[in-house]
Amino acid sequence: MTLNAKIPEGRLEDKWRNYQTQSRLINPANKKKLHVIVVGSGLSGAGAAATLAELGYDVQCFCYQDSARRAHSVAAQGGINAAKNYQHDGDSVWRMFYDTLKGGDFRSREANTYRLAELSAPLIDHFTQQGVPFAREYGGVLVNRSFGGVQVQRTFYARGQTGQQLLLAAYSQLYKMVRMKKVSLFTRHEMLDLVLVDGKAKGIIARDLVSGALKRFAADAVVLATGGYSRVFRLSTLAIGCNGSAIWKAHKRGAFFAAPSFTQIHPTALPQSSEAQSKLTLMSESLRNDGRIWVPKQTDDPRAANDIPEEERDYYLERRYPSFGNLAPRDIASRAAKERIDAGFGVGRLKNAVYLDFKHAIERFGINTIQDRYGNLFDMYKKITGIDAYREPMQISPAAHFSMGGLWVDYELMTTIPGLYAVGECNFSDHGANRLGANSLLQASVDGYFILPNTINNYLAAALNKEQVSTDHPAFKQVEVEVKQHIDRILAIQGTKTVDHFHRELGKVMWQECAMSRNRAGLERAIAQIKQIRADFWSDVKVTGHSDELNTELEKALRLADFIELGILMCTDALQREESCGAHFREEFQTPDGEAVRVDDLYAYVSAWEYDQGDFKLHKEVLDFEFVQPSVRSYK
Amino acid sequence: MKVNTLFFRKSIVAATGLFLCLFLIVHLSANCLLLLPEQAARGMYNAYSTWLRENPLIKVVAYALYLSIIVHVVYALLVTIRNRKAKPVSYAVNHTEANSSWASQNMGLIGLSILIFIVIHLANFWARIKLGLGADVGVDAAGNKDVYEVTYALFHNIYFVLFYSLLMIPLGLHLHHGLKSAFKTLGFYHKRGLEVLARISLIYAAVIAAGFGIIPFVVYFK
Amino acid sequence: MKVTFKIWRQDKPQAKGAFKEYQVDELTEDMSFLEALDHLNERLVLRGEKVIAYEYDCREGICGQCGVFINGRAHGPHPNITTCQLHMRSFKDGDTIVVEPWRANAFPIVKDLIVDRSAFDRIIEQGAYISAKTGTAPEANAILIGKAIADRAMDAAACIGCGACVATCKNSSAALFTAAKINHLNSLPQGKPEAHQRVLDMTAQMEREGFGHCSFTGACEVECPAGISIANIAEMNARQGKAQLLG
Ligand SMILES: Cc1cc2nc3c(=O)[nH]c(=O)nc-3n(C[C@H](O)[C@H](O)[C@H](O)COP(=O)(O)OP(=O)(O)OC[C@H]3O[C@@H](n4cnc5c(N)ncnc54)[C@H](O)[C@@H]3O)c2cc1C
Ligand code: FES
Repeated sequence: MTLNAKIPEGRLEDKWRNYQTQSRLINPANKKKLHVIVVGSGLSGAGAAATLAELGYDVQCFCYQDSARRAHSVAAQGGINAAKNYQHDGDSVWRMFYDTLKGGDFRSREANTYRLAELSAPLIDHFTQQGVPFAREYGGVLVNRSFGGVQVQRTFYARGQTGQQLLLAAYSQLYKMVRMKKVSLFTRHEMLDLVLVDGKAKGIIARDLVSGALKRFAADAVVLATGGYSRVFRLSTLAIGCNGSAIWKAHKRGAFFAAPSFTQIHPTALPQSSEAQSKLTLMSESLRNDGRIWVPKQTDDPRAANDIPEEERDYYLERRYPSFGNLAPRDIASRAAKERIDAGFGVGRLKNAVYLDFKHAIERFGINTIQDRYGNLFDMYKKITGIDAYREPMQISPAAHFSMGGLWVDYELMTTIPGLYAVGECNFSDHGANRLGANSLLQASVDGYFILPNTINNYLAAALNKEQVSTDHPAFKQVEVEVKQHIDRILAIQGTKTVDHFHRELGKVMWQECAMSRNRAGLERAIAQIKQIRADFWSDVKVTGHSDELNTELEKALRLADFIELGILMCTDALQREESCGAHFREEFQTPDGEAVRVDDLYAYVSAWEYDQGDFKLHKEVLDFEFVQPSVRSYK
Repeated sequence: MKVNTLFFRKSIVAATGLFLCLFLIVHLSANCLLLLPEQAARGMYNAYSTWLRENPLIKVVAYALYLSIIVHVVYALLVTIRNRKAKPVSYAVNHTEANSSWASQNMGLIGLSILIFIVIHLANFWARIKLGLGADVGVDAAGNKDVYEVTYALFHNIYFVLFYSLLMIPLGLHLHHGLKSAFKTLGFYHKRGLEVLARISLIYAAVIAAGFGIIPFVVYFK
Repeated sequence: MKVTFKIWRQDKPQAKGAFKEYQVDELTEDMSFLEALDHLNERLVLRGEKVIAYEYDCREGICGQCGVFINGRAHGPHPNITTCQLHMRSFKDGDTIVVEPWRANAFPIVKDLIVDRSAFDRIIEQGAYISAKTGTAPEANAILIGKAIADRAMDAAACIGCGACVATCKNSSAALFTAAKINHLNSLPQGKPEAHQRVLDMTAQMEREGFGHCSFTGACEVECPAGISIANIAEMNARQGKAQLLG
């Protein structure tokens, strides 16, 4: 099978317009006869569901939380990018496109990335109209801040709660359509499998998390908007319930999985402090605007941070990357931190952190300005650690944060299964091998609000006069039986270890071998280890309670079973890619001074994996760079 | 248009409460006459109460007052019933003292004690003077009903003195919370204003409670 | 460290619940409160018992999904935090920690410590939005909004919808939650056209859901993880009055 990304003709600037003028339309009266399932109520899911409903489609929307407002988009702090050029600092759609492509180390599609930048400005208009209280100047205009990896100020924000404010706007808009009876919302419902009829996505099987009942839902198209899968590392900045199950099940039913190993490790999270820890809290990257990162120049320095004089501090990012300094992109900042920590310069009780210091910023701008900019982040830091960061530097550490990889989608955001779409973080589309800060709220929103509602019609137009399948179709029955068997199998094991035990084991292997830096031997070892974890899980896990009741332990077990398989694929993908690009750093491919070596002539493609009865088959979507010349990504 | 009971009922309680707060100021100012030396106090106090009884305008106000008390109580009751229904099960452990004042948590109970006080208070004075129930009320030198004597006699019973003074504590608590709460219920939300309001409520409640609370003792020791 | 948890267990909405005691050791002060419960749950699984059901998702104080009554306080002993932000260092070795679900008629118990807060969503449904369709927005800077107004809107918009206000309120009033949303939208120019209807509809739903009256005990603003000021309720009352008269 050759992958066709369906990139429209024309100049970059014209492609999206050309696409829209040529795609098929559906008469408003007919749209209400068409049913769409949207799994996920984050920015991408809620945005898509609300907009599709506004257009007239009949929408069913799902989330596993008790309310749509809790999707993990809510946790994004820093901001959302848009090429508005309000700061008059030379920004443009083209520059934003180029920054994103370069930030992703030239491993994403030009056309998609350009469209992302192009639609960013109208998105800010949209959210402003929806009542998002973005930060403003005294005169009333919108403010911007800068973010890692770029030299212009294009990030819009709502205090330290940008994701929350955007999500609440999307959630409210979703509820507006619920009120108008255009959206049926199923909270506390988890999608456990995808149903295909004649090779087309026609519905899902979901578990009602309160009653435990398995339910069938049929539609003319299915949209997955289920977010990131970094919980495969167990410790991450994601919510505890974030999972890869929906996309994994879709993958097993035939959707290709693209670049699964491209995972962003965020440089500024709070360090792990104990084995029992369940979550690593992110401290917004925006802190790097004013904070300076350093470690002591001497290993195992026993002194308190404030006792270490200036000349004995190593501001290693400023030293290694003079032009970007503390604003170097995430992958670079994380790797640099790991390098210092591994070399013995780490600080904190477990020596697993580096300092992020606001002393100079406070001296320069005054404590009030810093309070105004980051007050809630400093408060949060204090709540968690008990430390006052106005007086002593924060301790930060890298943590798994974002999945650039995800289901392979074409320009229309359709996966390799006809009628199955993937939007938001769960697809692989615009970020290449590394995502720039504040670009993914953007991507999730643009996918949901602007792109999908303009591409899905191209597919649904053909579905219009076909007979619609109902949940009585044998395919539904069969998938439901399979899901039930899967659940019963887990409950029947009654072994001796908890789900969390296996998750910790998986997390350790993934973090050790498939995170910030990777090598062949390690990845091969990891694959063997994960296979062992899988075997142990299926023979020795213990889950109490039943399937026909609210059972949080069972929910965890089902998610973990999928994470384990996904882990194998991630390592397989990392092993296959013998180059270093973006967040994917293969130790065998580096310069003598530790910078990444990208191998464009062999690896300028998107890996897309096909599930093949427990094995994975590689397909390649070659990336054509028609409009820009991939350059060596340097932030020196 | 349909009115929202959540707002309507509370607004009624608040508005009647504020009216009663105003009344208390007038009531206390009049009672201050009791603090004067015996002779002057008797004459002026009796004259004043006669004037009150005979002024037609005051009569209207008096009815408004009775009505306010009744409406305040009835609506507070309705509010309490709904509130109880809204929280049918209470917590096994609940440290309300950590997040709110005792008075704010117990306005119903406090209100009930004040209601009992009012009933007894009315029986002591209003029933005798206006309805002519119980022992006859005499007249003073100027021919006015000798209300002063009624007061004087009552407050020479130490149990009544204690009752009248001690019950001013719940009244103070009720007024302190009630006054600021009433303004907020009626939509006063100015930030600085609310801080001033909190202080005024405290002063008001303290003055009213202390004022009414001291008088029985002053009379007792006359 | 070692503590005794006294936890409300209730299998189903209609079932009769009761407190059950659990001794837990091997805890450390760095553990979060929820991690201590996780730890307990792992022991329960190994003993073949059903796990305690409680809610959480983000575990960083923003999603609003967590929330239980801990030792007589919503979200535990500290003001303005969520349950997931509470750490075991706030307790002493040997403490008994009483854990109860949110109690309110409008928040029926689903299981153990989990309650159903969908009443909040239904209040939102009644108008916590600006009814403009995707794709119809004017240029963002075309409408200027002064910093003071934007900041105030943001203060109100910070609500995470956890329900601590209802839980701690002796009347189970949802006034703080509803007021925060109303004030956020109604104070912005974008929210003006539908301002009156929004207040009337959202508060009507608040009434239908069976929440109590606000009597300004002020407990809600102390327990609110987002620090929403109770002045918001007074402001909502003003808007309500105006809407009743003009709307
Ligand atoms: C801590 C943190 C901070 C961040 N900060 C920023 C930032 O400042 N700027 C930026 O641009 N990006 C940021 N990001 C990234 C960004 O927030 C996410 O990429 C984006 O919000 C993802 O949106 P989404 O709609 O794809 O998924 P989500 O918001 O995660 O939503 C997923 C939805 O899918 C549902 N779901 C999942 N699985 C199932 C299932 N099996 N069945 C049913 N429903 C399911 C969930 O219930 C949920 O509703 C941050 C991410 C994190 C973790
Ligand atoms: S788990 Fe999200 S706020 Fe506590």
